[in-house]
Amino acid sequence: MASDDLATSTGTRPNDPLAAYLSDLAVQLPGPRHRRDAILTELRDGLEQATQDRIATGLPPSQAAAAAINQFGSPHAVADAFAGELTTAYARRTIAWFIATGPLVGIWWLLLLHPSPWRTGLIALVAAIPVIPLIIAAIATASGTLATTGRLMRWLPETGPRRALSATITIAMLCMIIDLTMITMIMVSGTPPRPLMIIASAASLTRIVCSITTVRHTGLMRMVQIDHEVQR
Amino acid sequence: MLPMRPELLKGHLDALLLAVLEPGPQHGYAVIESLRSGSDGALDLPTGTVYPALHRLERAGLIASDWQTVGGRRRRAYHLTQAGHIALSEQRALWDQFSTAVTALLKRRTWPATT
Repeated sequence: MASDDLATSTGTRPNDPLAAYLSDLAVQLPGPRHRRDAILTELRDGLEQATQDRIATGLPPSQAAAAAINQFGSPHAVADAFAGELTTAYARRTIAWFIATGPLVGIWWLLLLHPSPWRTGLIALVAAIPVIPLIIAAIATASGTLATTGRLMRWLPETGPRRALSATITIAMLCMIIDLTMITMIMVSGTPPRPLMIIASAASLTRIVCSITTVRHTGLMRMVQIDHEVQR
Repeated sequence: MLPMRPELLKGHLDALLLAVLEPGPQHGYAVIESLRSGSDGALDLPTGTVYPALHRLERAGLIASDWQTVGGRRRRAYHLTQAGHIALSEQRALWDQFSTAVTALLKRRTWPATT
């Protein structure tokens, strides 16, 4: 667990009030683990600095630590403040994963169907691989979300955590439809089974399972995010 | 001076953070302290406002961070990027315009009587 790792990695004493505070905070932070650990490490440094500053003014260490914790706010309030950023980090990481799996799955289908657009033209390519418009839609959604939650938010309207989660669900569902369409298409074509077909279908099936898991997990996160926004 | 409510800073926090980091790299807690001391205690912002805002500015490429080890602790220090320096200049120009206009309207004066 992140809280245990934090306590042991920083050599924290078990009765240290800062460690207890950070452990409490750790269990309330959502999102990717490495991001949570980075936030906790950063907050620990801030808390220790705040404690030292108070000790320097003459406060006893226990009172200094309590005052520093009081300044930082309750674990619930701090976790709440970081929820949006961590949700966006989760969405960005998941979208990046889908982008990475695109070529890994697509290459087997291209090798199996070997379309030749330079000979037959775009219409023939879409006829051979009818999911191309869906692939374009998934890439556009992924690129747009990554751009407007990253560098380009300096110029473009920033995508909030809830919309980033919606985009993640959209991309996962598009991938699911793409994979199901390709598997169905090859099954009904009556092509005799061969190794390449098995590899391509297995890659798509694996991604379908991952997409279902993503849709369920992201859907739950989105509901939590909506509750969070309503409470604000 | 009485602390100001964080909501009042909406739209100006990014510029304030960039301005605090302009002289040189600082860690998150030092940024909070600089905001407070630089405003005579008026800008006493909570942790939950400053740290996520710093991370957001980093995602936007206006600041960057480095992890250092100071006194056995891991510390994340932030510094302005070239884009951050440019953005700060733009924000300063906008603020000068905005504050001049608002001050002109808000200052106490006798308005000419209408007949």
